[in-house]
Amino acid sequence: MKTLNIKKPLIAWLIIITTAFVASAQDSRIQMSSLDHLAAKASQTVDVSIDERLIRVAEKLFSNAKPDEKEIRKVLVGLKGIYVKSFEFETEGQVTPADVEQIQSQLRGPGWLRMVGVKSKKDGNFDVYLLMTGETIGGLAVLHTDQKELTVVNIVGPVDLEKLAKLEGQFGIPDLEIEPTKRSKKNDEK
Amino acid sequence: MNEDYLWDKSGPPDPEIQKLEEILGALRYQPKPFEVPGNVVVLRPRNYVPLLAIAATLLLALLAGGIWLRVRSRNEPHQARVPSGPPVTSPKVEEEKTVPKPKPEKGLAPREHNVAVHYKRRNRTPGLTPREREEALAAKQQLMLALRVASEKINLAQRKIQSTSPTNQIKNHHRVG
Repeated sequence: MKTLNIKKPLIAWLIIITTAFVASAQDSRIQMSSLDHLAAKASQTVDVSIDERLIRVAEKLFSNAKPDEKEIRKVLVGLKGIYVKSFEFETEGQVTPADVEQIQSQLRGPGWLRMVGVKSKKDGNFDVYLLMTGETIGGLAVLHTDQKELTVVNIVGPVDLEKLAKLEGQFGIPDLEIEPTKRSKKNDEK
Repeated sequence: MNEDYLWDKSGPPDPEIQKLEEILGALRYQPKPFEVPGNVVVLRPRNYVPLLAIAATLLLALLAGGIWLRVRSRNEPHQARVPSGPPVTSPKVEEEKTVPKPKPEKGLAPREHNVAVHYKRRNRTPGLTPREREEALAAKQQLMLALRVASEKINLAQRKIQSTSPTNQIKNHHRVG
């Protein structure tokens, strides 16, 4: 009978702790492995998968003395993972609605907020989702589907959208021409 | 004296022993209930179970707090943890900066200067072994590629929103799920 007195608070605490951890670890990672079969059909594939450990390792190489790298460091603060899958195809219709649905169905889950949805015949569809954990952003997902392209970006952790958007053009890496068609279109617009 | 009677009360009783028995019989043990004197305070055995339960819960709370802090500290910026030192650059940039135009330092012979440069170069990324550095460089490149794609897509979406006419389907702050 006396052991019950110990068991009760112990069980209560275990429940509280478990609940707290489960709540804190609300994962904003999207499973993108269902898109892997597209790589065989794609003319160009970008597949980046960086977990928290790699982010922390890479973070050490970003200098605080350089303004652009400092900005990147700011974006990386608190991030737990960055996952990108981008496929470009020579011909249209390689991406099926089922492929897109595999991603979108995950983004209909609790906490996800569709911030932006753009449908364009010219440039395809853009969807930007945010995972809200209370008042803060716990994750980001960008889904871009085009006639000849499918790109999914998933950032796990608190993301500053403004800072992330500002990063474009600040990178010292060569242009990999991930989006040659888009670039030409952009230039035309300018 | 009959010793058998003295030993186990067998045999004929010995009057001398019987007399002694009578005399000493008054001092024989008389069973009676234990009585606690009035001036003595009786302490009941203390029940430590609730105290143990409280201690266990506190211990668990501390453990949970410790784990929580550890998880939080891992998520905090690394600026504080990265040792202050010269800026870290990629090896290529590093070599361009250090090797082609080495300024001889004051008071150092050429050989000493080379050692100093080498020392500086080795200490660019303190705490990183060559293998870790290689991994970090690869991760950095991947990271920049990922951020570039992410940034590009977000900017494209932003530009689309700004340039799209109201007839297009733009849904801002639309909750799904």
